[in-house]
Amino acid sequence: MKEAELHARLAASGLTGIGALDTSARDPFVTVEAGALVAALTFLRDDPECRMEMLHNVTAVERADAMEVVYHVCSLARHHTLTVKVRLPRPAGGTHDTWIPEVPSVAGVWAAADWHEREQWDLLGVRFTGHPDLRRILLPAEWIGHPLRKDYVYPGEHGGIPLELDAVPLYERAPGSPPPPARPARAAGTPLEQPPAPFSTRPLAAGGKTCEPGQGGGERGGAH
Amino acid sequence: MEALELYTADVQDDVWTEELKLNLGPQHPSTHGVLRVELKMDGEIITAARSDIGYLHRCAEKIGENVSYLQFTPYTDRMDYLAACNNELAWSLAVEKLLGVEAPERAQWLRVIACELNRIASHLIAFGTYGIDMGANTPFFYAFREREAIMALLERPAGSRMLYNYVRPGGVAHDIDERWLPDVLAFCDEFERRWAEYNQILSTNKIFIARTANVGVLPREMALAWGCTGPVLRGSGVRWDLRRDVPYLWPYGEVEFDVPVGEGTHGTLGDCWDRYWVRMREMIESVRIIRQACARVPSGDFMDKAMARAYKTPVKPPKGEAYMRCENPRGELGFYLVSEGGASPIRCRARGPSFCNLSVLEALLPGCMIADGVAIIGSLDIVLGEVDR
Amino acid sequence: MQALIDFFAAPPFGLQGALALSAAYAVCIGSLLGFITVYAMFAIWMERKVAAHMQVRFGPMETGGWHGWAQSLADAVKLLFKEDLIPAQANKVLFWIAPAVVFCGVFAGFVAIPFAVGVQIADVDLGVFFIIAVAAVEVVGVIMAGWASNSKYSLFGAVREAAQVVSYEVPAAVALLVPILVVGSLRLGDFNAWQEEHGWLVLRNPFLPVAALIFFIASLAGCKRAPFDLPEAESELVSGFHTEYSGMRFSFFFLEEYASMFVSSLLVATLFFGGWTLPFVDVSAAPAPVGVVVLLAKTFFFIFVQMWLRWTLPRLRVDQMMAMGWKYLLPWALLCVVGTAAFEAWGWGWLPLSGG
Repeated sequence: MKEAELHARLAASGLTGIGALDTSARDPFVTVEAGALVAALTFLRDDPECRMEMLHNVTAVERADAMEVVYHVCSLARHHTLTVKVRLPRPAGGTHDTWIPEVPSVAGVWAAADWHEREQWDLLGVRFTGHPDLRRILLPAEWIGHPLRKDYVYPGEHGGIPLELDAVPLYERAPGSPPPPARPARAAGTPLEQPPAPFSTRPLAAGGKTCEPGQGGGERGGAH
Repeated sequence: MEALELYTADVQDDVWTEELKLNLGPQHPSTHGVLRVELKMDGEIITAARSDIGYLHRCAEKIGENVSYLQFTPYTDRMDYLAACNNELAWSLAVEKLLGVEAPERAQWLRVIACELNRIASHLIAFGTYGIDMGANTPFFYAFREREAIMALLERPAGSRMLYNYVRPGGVAHDIDERWLPDVLAFCDEFERRWAEYNQILSTNKIFIARTANVGVLPREMALAWGCTGPVLRGSGVRWDLRRDVPYLWPYGEVEFDVPVGEGTHGTLGDCWDRYWVRMREMIESVRIIRQACARVPSGDFMDKAMARAYKTPVKPPKGEAYMRCENPRGELGFYLVSEGGASPIRCRARGPSFCNLSVLEALLPGCMIADGVAIIGSLDIVLGEVDR
Repeated sequence: MQALIDFFAAPPFGLQGALALSAAYAVCIGSLLGFITVYAMFAIWMERKVAAHMQVRFGPMETGGWHGWAQSLADAVKLLFKEDLIPAQANKVLFWIAPAVVFCGVFAGFVAIPFAVGVQIADVDLGVFFIIAVAAVEVVGVIMAGWASNSKYSLFGAVREAAQVVSYEVPAAVALLVPILVVGSLRLGDFNAWQEEHGWLVLRNPFLPVAALIFFIASLAGCKRAPFDLPEAESELVSGFHTEYSGMRFSFFFLEEYASMFVSSLLVATLFFGGWTLPFVDVSAAPAPVGVVVLLAKTFFFIFVQMWLRWTLPRLRVDQMMAMGWKYLLPWALLCVVGTAAFEAWGWGWLPLSGG
C-alpha cells in the first residue's frame, strides 16, 4: 500500500490526533500528536492491512522551532513503509539547558524502540515517558549535556584532560592553574571550508618552524 | 528492560551458593570489538546480562552535521569497517535521493560488484572469527586467504584495501582496468572450490554443531519485535532481503539469486547454526550475483557528470529529508538525512544494523552458559564501529 | 641406573654407598631435566610449524636461519628476562608454588619411563600406576594457580580444570587396565618385552584398538589439549587459569603441558604400539640408542597427532565434555576391560576360537 492509503486507514481508525500526510517530502510522512502516538503505532502494528511488524528507526531532529521525533516503520508482509512524526514545539527561550521535550515511549509496542530511544535521550535530550530503563547508552553515565543539540557547548576538559585543540597541553600547564575556558559553539550547518586553527598556539623556540598546511614541511622546532 | 535486581541469597539444602558477577569486558578476545557485557552467573550459567556499549563512539553523527555531504563518505566507511562499500552505498543513495540524481548504468553495475565482493569479505570474517570463538583456529586463516584476494581486487579501482571510499554519491570514484572483470571471475571460480572446504572443516563438524545448534534460539516474532535484520532475521526463517524485495539498486532486480533462510537443520529454527549457515550460503549467492553482473557491465560514465563537478564546490541540496535503507552484510543500514539547504545536513542519522541486532543479546543470554554466550555474540556478527558510530 | 652407580663407585671417583647413589641420581635427574627442556623447546617449535603449515603459512622462519629453529630458544631467553608480575591481591604463596607443583607432578612421572632396555632412571614395579598417580598431582597445582590469581577468569579455568582432568582420569585408567590385563604386569619394561615376543598389543584383539583410542582421547583431556582446552579456553577465558602468569612462571605451565603430552604419547606408544620394538626387526639386539630412537619416533608421531587435532577441531562445552567422559568413554572402556578379560580367558584373538 502506498503512504496515502496507509494514512487513510490510519485516519479512519477512529483515533484522535492523527494529522495530515505531507506528500511534498520525498518520503511522505504523517504527523501525529504526542498523546496519540502509542495508539497510532499500535494500530499500525496490529491492523491486518498495515501489519507494520518492524520499527526500523527512531530519530530525533532538532529544528529551530521544534523537536521532531521521527519513526520509520516497515512491513515485511505487505512490503510497505511509513514515516510518522511527532512535533514537540520549542518553548520561548528553550535552550539546551532548560528544554527537555517529552514524548511517550513506544518500547511497549516494539522492543526495538528500547535502545533507539535511549540513544535519542543520550544524544538529543528527548525524554521518552514510560520507557523501562531510560539511561545513557553511548556516552558515559556521568556525561553532562546532550551533544547533538545545536547549542551544545563542548566541555573544556573531561577527567582532567583538556579537550580543546588550541589548549595548552597537560604537561605544559602550571600545576594548580585553572582549566582553559570552553570554546563557543560554531554556527550549525557551516562545513569546515577553512583550514582548522593551528594545532598549538604555544610559542616555539627561536628558529623553530611550524608545519602549518600550505607552509611546507618545517624542521622540528626546539620546543618539541 | 528491567534494571538488574539485587541478588538475594539462595539457600538450598543448607548450601549457600553465591552469585558471580563477571565482566565480559571491553577487552576480550570474543566480543568482536570493544563491547562490555556485565554478567551475573550461577556457576557457568548466566542468570542476567546487561550490555554496555559506547566504547567506540566517535561522534559520526555530529561530524556529519559539520562536514559536507561528499566529505562524509569516508566516515561511513569507518562505521562498519568490514563492509565499507555497502555503507558508502547506503549513504550515496541517501544523498542521491535528496538531490534527485541517479548514478549512470556502468556505475550501478560496478557498485553491485564492489558491494557483493565486500559482502563475501565481511562474511568471511564472520566465518573465520566464529571458528576462533569456538576454538577452531584454522579456518580463520583460510578465510583471510580469500579475503586477501578480495582486498587485492578492490584495491585496484579503489586505491585502498579495506576502507575503500569507492562508492560515492553520483557513482563510483574511479573506473576499473580491462583485466579487472576477468580477474573477478577467476576469483569467483577459486572461491567456490574453497567454500566447499570450509564446510568440511567447520560447518559439518560434529563439535561445532554441538556448540551452535539449539543455542541462542531467536524466534521469528522476537526477531521482528527487536528490529533484527539481515542474517539474524533470515536465520529465524523470515525470507526478507532488501536486495530482492525493495531493490535499492535496480541491477539487483535484474539478476537472479536466492535468499537463504534458516531451516532448523541441526536444531531449532533460529539457533546459532542457522544464522551461521545463512551467511555461508549468502557467500555463494553473492558469487552468483557477481558472475551475472560481470557479464552485464556496460561501457559509459562511472560518475554522474553533474556530481563530479560537485566535488569542486560543495553541493547544497534543497530543503527536505530522505531515508534510505540498504542490505548490508549485517542487516539493514538506514541513513536519515535532513537538509535545510546548507552545505551539510542538519541531521545525519545512521541506523546501524549491528545496533539493533545487539539489542537482542540481553534477552538471549540468560539461561545459557558462558560458552554459549560467546557463541551467541559471534552469531549476531556485530561490528562495534557500527553499534557505536 | 646400576651401571651409573658402579661408574661412580669405581676409580677415579671412588665414591661409596650413598654418595655414589646421590651422584648417579644427580646426573640422571640433571640429564632428564635437560632432556625435558630441550624436548619442550623442540615441541613448541614443532607445534608452531605444524600449526602454521595447516594454516597456509610458514611459522617461524627468521630466528636462527633455517626455518627459525632457534625461535624457542629465543622465547625461553625472553621469558627468563621478563618482569616477574604478581597481582597485588593475589595469594603470594600459592601463586609462587603453583607452577612448581604442576611441573613436579609431571616431571616425577618421567623417572619411571624406560627409553630402551636398561635406559631408565628407576625401574618401578608399579610403572604405569605410578606415572598416572603422580601426574594427577598437577590438578592441585592448577587449582592453586586459578585461585591464587585473584581473577574470576582464572577461577573459571581452575574449576573447569578440576572437573575435567579428574573426570577423564577415570576412563584413562580403565582403558589402561586393558593392556595390563593382557600382559599381567604394571612394569613398563615388561610391556616392551611382552610385545617383542607376541607382537604389538594394539593388534591383539578387537578391544585393544578401542582401548588405545579411549586412552588417547582421555589423555588429550588430561593434558588440556584441544578439543578439551576449556581450562585455558582462549576465546572465553582469555587464558584461563594462567591468565595472570607471565615470564618464567608461565613457562612452567607451558613446559608442563608439553611434558604431559610427551608422557601420554609415550604411554600410548609403549602400552599399545610396541614401545621400542619393531615388527620384523630385533631391536633389543641392537645397541640401546636404536631402541630410544624407535620409541621417540613413535612418541613424536602421537605428539604430532595431538597437535593435528588441536588445530583442526573446535572446543567442547563444559557439559558436553563431561558427558563425553562419563557417558561415552567410561562405558566403552569398561566394555573393553570385560571383553579383553573374556577373550584372554578363552584364548581368543581377533576372531572367536582363533589363537591369540
